Amino acid sequence: MSCVVGEDLTMKDVIDVMQLQREKSKQAISVDYREVENNFVAVRFIFECGIKLDAQPLTIATAAILYHRFFKEADSSGYDSYLIAATTLYLAGKVKDDPLKIRDVINVTHNTLNRGAAPLELGDEYWNMRDAIVQAELLIMRMLKFEVTIVHPHKFMLHYLKSLEGWCEKDDWSKMPIAKAASAFLQDFHYDPAILDYTPQHVAIACINLALQCYGGQVLPTDEGEGVPWYSVYADDLQKDKLWEIMEKIMEVYNKEPK
Amino acid sequence: MEDKTKRYEKVEFLGEGQFATVYKARDIHNDNIVAVKKIKLGSRAEAKDGINRTALREVKLLQELKHPNIINLMDVFGHKSNVSLVFDFMDTDLEVIIKDNSIVLTPAHIKAYVLMTLQGLEYLHMNWILHRDLKPNNLLVNSNGILKIGDFGLAKFFGSPNRIYTHQVVTRWYRSPELLFGARIYGTGVDMWAVGCILAELLLRVPFLPGESDLDQLTRIFQALGTPTEVVWPGMEALPDYIQFKSFPGTPFRHIFTAASDDLLELLENLLSLYPLKRCTCEKALKMAYFSNKPYPSPGSQLPLPSSIQPNVGVNKPTLKRKLMDSLEGVSQPKRLIF
Repeated sequence: MSCVVGEDLTMKDVIDVMQLQREKSKQAISVDYREVENNFVAVRFIFECGIKLDAQPLTIATAAILYHRFFKEADSSGYDSYLIAATTLYLAGKVKDDPLKIRDVINVTHNTLNRGAAPLELGDEYWNMRDAIVQAELLIMRMLKFEVTIVHPHKFMLHYLKSLEGWCEKDDWSKMPIAKAASAFLQDFHYDPAILDYTPQHVAIACINLALQCYGGQVLPTDEGEGVPWYSVYADDLQKDKLWEIMEKIMEVYNKEPK
Repeated sequence: MEDKTKRYEKVEFLGEGQFATVYKARDIHNDNIVAVKKIKLGSRAEAKDGINRTALREVKLLQELKHPNIINLMDVFGHKSNVSLVFDFMDTDLEVIIKDNSIVLTPAHIKAYVLMTLQGLEYLHMNWILHRDLKPNNLLVNSNGILKIGDFGLAKFFGSPNRIYTHQVVTRWYRSPELLFGARIYGTGVDMWAVGCILAELLLRVPFLPGESDLDQLTRIFQALGTPTEVVWPGMEALPDYIQFKSFPGTPFRHIFTAASDDLLELLENLLSLYPLKRCTCEKALKMAYFSNKPYPSPGSQLPLPSSIQPNVGVNKPTLKRKLMDSLEGVSQPKRLIF
């Protein structure tokens, strides 16, 4: 679409081009969820719907974790992953005291699954969906033995980043988008059930360390190979092997993304 | 999976709250007596919003809390479309004890109840949880005289700077002045104020400040404690629902609580400080002279119980026979037991 502008570029047109490109990149990530059904796209569905519902980031993260925990217990062939995804969002709103209205959840998930479809009429289909979500919610709660309190890596990561910022030279820190990259890694790691296998503290450290590796950042005074690594003050139970294992798991997420 | 509805055998109906019905039940695994709180579901089809938010909040908080003075959530189970919570069985509550005119509350009894309340509440506050609905009815007492804080339907995490709360919490008579003035950011002070009102009620044996409306509540508070000024309570006039009140001089506590000792009045004054930031914390309250001075708090076994409740001596498992005899004798069980 951006080629429409072409020929004589004025300043206004440049801005238009950028706007168009943004829109184009938005369209590029649009997924037809009806074509594929696996855990990766189901979590993408959770994130897409969660953002449309204006849910808090931690509410969406909670939904993703609940989703993975459910399918750790349940056979994935037995359930519609989009129903479970919609229900974990609705349940996460309750768990996080960030209430999402069931009708909004139904409308958003329905429209995301059936792009361009008209909103559901208050008919049988709507009521069946509503009933399905309510039933699935109780099923999830029972499968998880009513244990739905989740300790997220986010708060640990924020704390670690804050104190790292204090350690680093101001210029070095502002040159590299460590916090931004680490947050992106953390959010993306929620696509993979492997996130359940590690403590929130370790996940937080791995995200930061991966960001540091990507940008060639070093945390003074110690360096890899000599003495004590930076994260040992936060988690003395994290071995280097384990850390690299988590970092690899995070990187693998990007290979799982459907092309 | 085991059928939990069979595990907990219903003994009798205990009471009904807004969101739940409570039954006394026997755990057939160990013969323990428990309380089963069955969460009501909206009956109308359009009210079907799934798991009750209040119940979920209560489950989430109580799963993480273990303290002798906090109600213990032993189990949660779902059956059909119901959710049930299994708690320690508590025989009565402080409201029943306060209202029972045949019970004499000595200073040692009162000290024991306040001590147990503050110890439970200190644990909650240490875990960054506000109860937000403390009242005698929610302070449960078992036949061993142990007091446990119950009903966490309104409890909430606090401390996060971006959290805005509703001020429509806490039963009016126990509601602090900052809540009545519409404060949306508040802290442990709201619970401390409620403890102050409960302590006053233990002394007076009637509610200390039984306001009939929110305005009347503030009037009663200021009549008793004196109308605060911006000097006494900085920031008061900036609260959302602030209105100016007639200037009351206040009544000295000594004149209201004629039988109370000096150390008790000191505690009460700290709990009922109008300025929320000057109100004492549990930790500070527990260090006050009142708790180390004589008389010492009564041990649980010496605390009074309503006549309808048998003290827990030796093997005293209520048998079906006992239960039938009780009902023949027409012994009234305390109603309104709300967890």
